[in-house]
Amino acid sequence: MVELRDIHKHFDAVVALHGAGLTVAPGEIRALLGSNGSGKSTLIKILAGLVEPTGGQVLFDGAPVHIRNGRDARSLGIATTFQELSLIPMMSVRDNILLGNEPLARLGLVDRKSADRRIEELLDRFHIKCDPDTYVQALTPSVQTMVEVAKAVAQNPRLLLLDEVTAPLHYDEVELLFGSMRELAAEGVAMIYVTHRISEVFTICDTVTVVRNGETVAQGAVGDFSTDTIIYHMTGQRPEAAASHAGSETGGREGEPMLDVRNLELLPKAKDLSLKAYKGEIVGIGGLEGQGQSEFMRALLGATPFQGGEIVYDGQPRRFRSPAAAVREGIGFISGDRNREAIFALRTVEENLLAGKVAKGRLFAYMSARSIRAFARDAVGKYAIKIGSLRHAANSLSGGNQQKLVVARWIAMSPKLLLLDDPTKGVDIHSRREIHQILRRCAQEGMTVVMSLSETEELLDNADRIYVFYEGHVNAVLSGAQKTPEALAAAMLGMSGPGAADAPSPSGPHSDSLSGRSISRSIPGAPSPSGPHSDGFPVASSPGFPGAADASAAMSPATGGGGGKGATP
Amino acid sequence: MNTKTKPTPSYLLASARQALGRFHTSPAFAGSMLFLAALVLNAALQGPASFFTVKNINTLFTKNTPFMLAAIAQSLLLMTGTMDISCGVQMALVNVVVIMTGQEWGIPFPLSCLLGIGAAILASLLCWVCCSVLRLPALLASYALTFVIKGVNVMIMSVPQGKVEKLYYKAYDSQIFGFIPASILGLALVLLIWAYVRRTRLGTHMYAVGGNQRDAFAAGISPMGVQLKAFLLKGFIIGAAGVCLTLMTAAGNPLQAEDYGIRSLSACIIGGLSFGGWGTVGCAISGAGFLVLIQNSVYYFFSMLVKMIPGFSVTSYYQNFASDLLILLGLLMTMVTARGQREALRRDIVRQLKTGIGLRDQAGTPPPDGAAAGAALAPPPGNGTGPENTDAPAFDTLSAPAVSTSAARTGLSDGAGVGAAHTKEGMDDER
Amino acid sequence: MKDNLTPLMRAKVFVKESPARMAFIIAILLYVATVAVSPTSLNANAIGSIIMMTLLLSFASAGQTIVLIGGGMDFSVGAVMSSAAILATTIMNHRDGYFLPLLISALAMGAFVGLCNGVCAVKIGLPPMIVTLAISNVVTRMQYVLTQGSPLGYVSDAFFRSVTTRLFGVQFLPSIILYAFIVFPLVFFLLNRSRFGKQVYLIGNNPLAARLDGIEVSRVQILTYVFSGMFSAFAGILGAAYMQSVRCQTFDEYAYNSLIAVIIGGTALSGGIGTYTGSIAGSLVMVVLSNLLTAMQLSPTKRNVVLGVLMVLLLVLYNREKNVRQ
Repeated sequence: MVELRDIHKHFDAVVALHGAGLTVAPGEIRALLGSNGSGKSTLIKILAGLVEPTGGQVLFDGAPVHIRNGRDARSLGIATTFQELSLIPMMSVRDNILLGNEPLARLGLVDRKSADRRIEELLDRFHIKCDPDTYVQALTPSVQTMVEVAKAVAQNPRLLLLDEVTAPLHYDEVELLFGSMRELAAEGVAMIYVTHRISEVFTICDTVTVVRNGETVAQGAVGDFSTDTIIYHMTGQRPEAAASHAGSETGGREGEPMLDVRNLELLPKAKDLSLKAYKGEIVGIGGLEGQGQSEFMRALLGATPFQGGEIVYDGQPRRFRSPAAAVREGIGFISGDRNREAIFALRTVEENLLAGKVAKGRLFAYMSARSIRAFARDAVGKYAIKIGSLRHAANSLSGGNQQKLVVARWIAMSPKLLLLDDPTKGVDIHSRREIHQILRRCAQEGMTVVMSLSETEELLDNADRIYVFYEGHVNAVLSGAQKTPEALAAAMLGMSGPGAADAPSPSGPHSDSLSGRSISRSIPGAPSPSGPHSDGFPVASSPGFPGAADASAAMSPATGGGGGKGATP
Repeated sequence: MNTKTKPTPSYLLASARQALGRFHTSPAFAGSMLFLAALVLNAALQGPASFFTVKNINTLFTKNTPFMLAAIAQSLLLMTGTMDISCGVQMALVNVVVIMTGQEWGIPFPLSCLLGIGAAILASLLCWVCCSVLRLPALLASYALTFVIKGVNVMIMSVPQGKVEKLYYKAYDSQIFGFIPASILGLALVLLIWAYVRRTRLGTHMYAVGGNQRDAFAAGISPMGVQLKAFLLKGFIIGAAGVCLTLMTAAGNPLQAEDYGIRSLSACIIGGLSFGGWGTVGCAISGAGFLVLIQNSVYYFFSMLVKMIPGFSVTSYYQNFASDLLILLGLLMTMVTARGQREALRRDIVRQLKTGIGLRDQAGTPPPDGAAAGAALAPPPGNGTGPENTDAPAFDTLSAPAVSTSAARTGLSDGAGVGAAHTKEGMDDER
Repeated sequence: MKDNLTPLMRAKVFVKESPARMAFIIAILLYVATVAVSPTSLNANAIGSIIMMTLLLSFASAGQTIVLIGGGMDFSVGAVMSSAAILATTIMNHRDGYFLPLLISALAMGAFVGLCNGVCAVKIGLPPMIVTLAISNVVTRMQYVLTQGSPLGYVSDAFFRSVTTRLFGVQFLPSIILYAFIVFPLVFFLLNRSRFGKQVYLIGNNPLAARLDGIEVSRVQILTYVFSGMFSAFAGILGAAYMQSVRCQTFDEYAYNSLIAVIIGGTALSGGIGTYTGSIAGSLVMVVLSNLLTAMQLSPTKRNVVLGVLMVLLLVLYNREKNVRQ
């Protein structure tokens, strides 16, 4: 139905696409894969009418078309869900879903009644529990994503482009989405599905297209591919033999902990979090999404205040009032939300590398150009960051290299304690591995690393000990032989994992609540308010398979962050 | 809506509370509170007996309708994510066109008014070309245009001159039925037009373009097209403002009203509009009302001092200083309120997450708070319609279009339902 | 890759990458046009006065540059300049020996207004454009209240000479250049060689990332406003020296002029990008442009129109926002 032929696109001097192609037939779900900066999103944007290709042809139903804008795309029957969402935060769910598509009544007025009917239908279809009058900015990310999907489906498209939709979704929402996708496919809608979760490809897609450096390097039916071949095509390298699974078992644990968090209370997410991290150790934090990991990290850094408990850092109880205070004391923070929280896209590579150094010290001290340059050149060499020139803007780099830039920025400062909040989110596998290698090296040199990761495999591979957060508590601490995918998945779902006994002994009344909660949650399906679609709870029944572990990472015991509000009883 | 649900006292109370919460977190809240404060202050200083006279109210409207219209025009642009600080000189352009076409070509007044409005629309188009087509920063482009239009004004009319026939300006100053200021008609016309536009696709699209151009574009909307329509509408309103200005001054002056551009912008911000997609026309009206009444209040305050303290005299410098200072304070107040609203919004997201995770027992917020927070999620209140709006813009801006809703949703205790949130009772309760 | 660019694209890249040089080129072209229109304007004295006005504007836009790069905007430049100028004539009152007290009080006044701007814009979170405008209104009204509308006094002769004397008897070297030797390196140090400057750039580009990076964002942003106030005050007293006696609101137009000069110099309105060299070049463009209009001997009316149109053209040249479609 749709064919992209030999597409080229360059933004001034930067080449984004260089001979990429793609076909998709009615009823087909095609996976579009590639590492960051490979041009997937640009391809999607060309079909959505947001980017004008500089060369190549777009064929629709066999005839060449020119998609000049969103209107053209819509009239061809192309609907898109964007990775960064196309919802307007200050408008209501209703207005967003029907935007550009409002039913009209007499005199050009918008027909509120039929609008309401359609909205109700759509919200029901995707089990979105929210008031259609709610502003989108007041929704949780997962609900926003579902609204984005509903918005695309509302156009009754012939071709649906899904760009990284599942990243913020809960497990049951993903299932729901896949269900809808299958329905749509049965109706003959063609879909292009972009994802980083390779396991999903085998669940939902019929065909695969892999792009690398703006070129299509592989296409075919999904049966012809395996995880390994996909990774090979994406990176151009054979995946190395599985990295040592064990991590370093010896890492520290003697003497005083560098970081000792006791019963940290952070309303509303975290109620009682305790954690110890020793010198030279990589402590991992796992858990379902939104169990207080990010808040925990930010509280350690002083970016958000905490209500109760104590943070002992380097032997002294501390309560940092701002990140600046924490940084002064030798703490570094790396966020996985690169574009929003870490990278200075307009500034040069050099300045990005220097950002850590710049943050510390006297405000009006002289910084010589030569020392700055030497510092940056050193970092680039040490961390193998691929750059054109130190003077190029950071946004000329690929996502993986940008993240390495951010990591290097802090490691070069050799902080005593490095906090990382999902540092490899949206980073390609190759860079991911390099980042972990760098972190391991730093730990061996005596740095304390506390890192939350959403990917369970990665967590198991790279952390010495894993604290599993569940509903604002530490549900389990896994180390050594306990670090198995089964144990991790179980602990993430709130079952008292094998490591629960190992958890730092909670003091006072908390101990009751901890064990009590663990028991009550050990029957996961039952108390879940997730409604009719909670039946597919696999409870880590096939934990050996990485895909399953991955999926369970996204699983949520309580669905629809939007809950409560406006729900029909 | 009330027909669907029984109006039990508890239900009425709940819906009143919802309405209150909804109003409390609407963008128009800060502005209307400020407006109300200024109104009370002004009435108190002037003496309610002399403030609430037909004559005084009439004067207030005749003197300030042009400014209010300018603020409304500006607010439309702000919603669409752009602005035009050459509004003021465009009003002067209308003024000179109206006067000169009448004087030189002998065109009857109503016709030259149409020509004046046409001139304003042309000027707006020029601004649209700069801001949307050429994609220049709106602030700087419209500043540059200020020079151009000012120059054109002087070319058309070199020195202040001309007059309006007595019939027309008398009509403008008169009262319909002896108590409705005739100048309100212009305001009412513009508000009616806007009330219509708000309910068409264009209304939503304007907010969408203001919120995020790229996303609007992706949804098949042409940001340029929507901005064109916004500029045309704004041109028309500025034309009306210019006509009112002409009727008010009954003479021509090419160099007047320049500061209306920036002041209308200030009025919008004080009223609670922000750059791009947030706020309503009601915000602009209350903001403009606040500016006007504060200046009035300061005048009456100083004349009171002069009366009370023998030998006390004061120059207008002090008055200007005091009113500018109060305006600055008003701005600060708006922002403090907006911050409170953001806080409420945040609380509500927290509440959603809480209920999602099942920590409801830990929720420390009492129901009224929840209601207020829930109401933060209300749609932007519809914009006031009809002439009564101008009497108490603060509240009538909230008489939003009826929202059809299911009873199930309104029955929810957490106050997020839509229900009869827009009923008058709620407003009166607030008062 | 760079070889196969068309000349147009090359020009685009040039404009994008070195707006400062572009602005200098425009200034030269405008000057050539001036000479073409009126050959008599090619004399050392005229060049001297161009330099004088350019430096004055570039001093005023120094602070504006810093604020804009840090993600703010300062419309109180003009009001602070006027106030400082009034302060200068009032304090000096035609007497020598009051330079130091004047300098201190003017800088303190500028710093205070800057602090108010900073606190309101950064801590309270009002749109910088609106709040600095409101504050500058208050400052302007203050001028009238304190002077009852007619400021008295003159700057001292020595001070007047320190700005306007021609160095070495060369007509095109006004002694205000000596002040530039202080201001330019100072700004260069602040923006490019100090931790403060590096932080300002980072904050302007991405405030959230800067905060998590451990930069005290609000403190640095407030400081940018304070610097802006101080640079404006400094420009104000030099302006007073040049004018000898001043009225209220004398320098108000510098608010917009400095902003436009900075923007022409390639600083982004959205923050994070810009250089002071660019702002100096932008100031030169503004001054040469107004010179050209004078040389053309237009009536004030036509002058306004031409000025407006040329400003639009300058903005079109290289300060267009990105298209939604790429």
